[in-house]
Amino acid sequence: MSAPATPIPAAAGAQVATAIVRPSHTLPEPRRRRWLWGLVVAQLLFVLAVAGAGYATEQLGTTITLRTAPADPRDLRFHDYLELRYLISELPGHLWKGSAVPRRKAPVYVVLEQRQGVYEAVAVHPEQPAIGPGQTVLRGWVQETWRRSMRLRYGLERYYLPEEARRQLRRPQPLQVTVSIAPWGQARISQVQVLPALPR
Amino acid sequence: MSRRVLETDGRDWVQRGIIAEEQRVQLLALYPAERPPLALLPLLGSLLILLSALSVVAANWQGLPEVVRLALLLGSLAGTYAAAEYFLRRQYESLGMGLLGLGLLLFGISILLTSQMYQLIGYDLSGLVAWAVAGVALTWVYGSRFLFILTVVIGGLVQGYNTGQLGAFSYLTAGLTAGGLGYYWWRRPDSVLGAVLASGLLWQAALLISHLHIKITWFFLPAMLLYAFGDWQPDRPAGRALQGPPLVAAFVFTLGLALFGESDIYAGRLRAPMLPYLAALGVVLALSAVGKQRRGRLGSLTDWLLLLPGFYFTGGLPLAVATLVVLYAYSGAVLWRAHQEQNPDRVTLGTVLFILTTAVAYFKLTWGFMDKSLFFLLGGGLLLGLSWWLRRRAARTFSTSEASKP
Repeated sequence: MSAPATPIPAAAGAQVATAIVRPSHTLPEPRRRRWLWGLVVAQLLFVLAVAGAGYATEQLGTTITLRTAPADPRDLRFHDYLELRYLISELPGHLWKGSAVPRRKAPVYVVLEQRQGVYEAVAVHPEQPAIGPGQTVLRGWVQETWRRSMRLRYGLERYYLPEEARRQLRRPQPLQVTVSIAPWGQARISQVQVLPALPR
Repeated sequence: MSRRVLETDGRDWVQRGIIAEEQRVQLLALYPAERPPLALLPLLGSLLILLSALSVVAANWQGLPEVVRLALLLGSLAGTYAAAEYFLRRQYESLGMGLLGLGLLLFGISILLTSQMYQLIGYDLSGLVAWAVAGVALTWVYGSRFLFILTVVIGGLVQGYNTGQLGAFSYLTAGLTAGGLGYYWWRRPDSVLGAVLASGLLWQAALLISHLHIKITWFFLPAMLLYAFGDWQPDRPAGRALQGPPLVAAFVFTLGLALFGESDIYAGRLRAPMLPYLAALGVVLALSAVGKQRRGRLGSLTDWLLLLPGFYFTGGLPLAVATLVVLYAYSGAVLWRAHQEQNPDRVTLGTVLFILTTAVAYFKLTWGFMDKSLFFLLGGGLLLGLSWWLRRRAARTFSTSEASKP
């Protein structure tokens, strides 16, 4: 492509050219670049904050162990994660301590207590409850309610299985899941052990 | 006009005395020289090497230490944005914008993979909302239609993931798409972006209705609010583009109801409580009417005929007849307005809608009790006759309009 044969005589010509190249609604270049770098730094910090939240939850949180119903390894043919159903995912209605019937999607606070090495639910509250020694609280959401029971969701139902656990899991087997609960309420799975299969 | 025409023919124009040499130079300055195209082979080569690196990383992702994984994600994120700005500064517009879009996609992927790494996924919605925020911000900074469309798609994906996988609806994402991108569109009206934005928002509204398990007809409240928003837009083509998707949704819904509404399976899930629904819709109608009146377009109030609540009739024949009346009222109004405004495109649209409605009405009302050979013969004759008559009417309208011109 050739440049114009004659140099542009007036500076006004150059100004017109710039105005045509840059659509009128975009920011001038230095400001645009400042904005971009601000946004990039914010995005990098956000990803780091996600990682930091995961790390801090494990370091500063209370650790509890939960049992699941047998997890089916056939799920892994379609995904790289398992859908976990905890024994505390379905709870009897008499544990509910609220005055009104629990609503679907409402947040709830499940009080857990250690019994024979595993944490079990002892009460479900609509508000953050005061707890006794040896107890801890896990936040969940009501997924479904029935006449005598309810199903809760904790946001811990999906576990991306590392390779060695994947090899251990050959048939539907229960899992023992170690969960860290941060003081600010966030929870994450920190470890999963495959338990021996139940006798048929 | 392109620079190429100026370069090849410009000197000839100067020789013929059409323009002066100085004007030729000024014209050339208006169309700056394009950047030479990037060499294709080095670009393809780099792309292949990048793909190989990606497949090595993907195959060993689980085995890499966490710090390395995090560094890879952050490095590629920052690198893509830096490359985007590098190319934009050298005026490779499409490559730069493409890389910005890639950077935005990488941000979403980084959030997902980092959450997955720390098993945080599924906990709350804030992670993916940040993705939509970044998209809206980039759209504003670069004033790019490509980033606008990408952000609408990201908003839809985030909302689909939230409702499908996490069982929650993110009102913040919906608000961001409607507010951030809606205001952008309001300031820089554009037909394509209007239709894309309206489709994206309707998708989110449909997800909300399904997430809340409420009656389907509530969908038309946000949909018509979007329509009313189009009435207030001073740029007519852009406003009309925003109104297209809600109208299409309402027409398809009513058509579906006319065809399949008899079964109680649908009827039971349709009807919102009459009084609150009609009151809320009435408020939106008022908003739309005021907008139309301000912009001097009260004639288009006939669009609201589609929203006549024919579906409050119980299933069976009354429902079919009521929805057909709504369809006829609307397509008739489109045809009537098209003839009034002598707008050939709208005449075609109105004709298609009218014939479609007649076909549905004919199938619906006569299939059960007519001999099938007679049914098809009469139906074919009816549609052919109708199409001939509508064409004739259209031709007459346009011939009188031509004749009346001075």
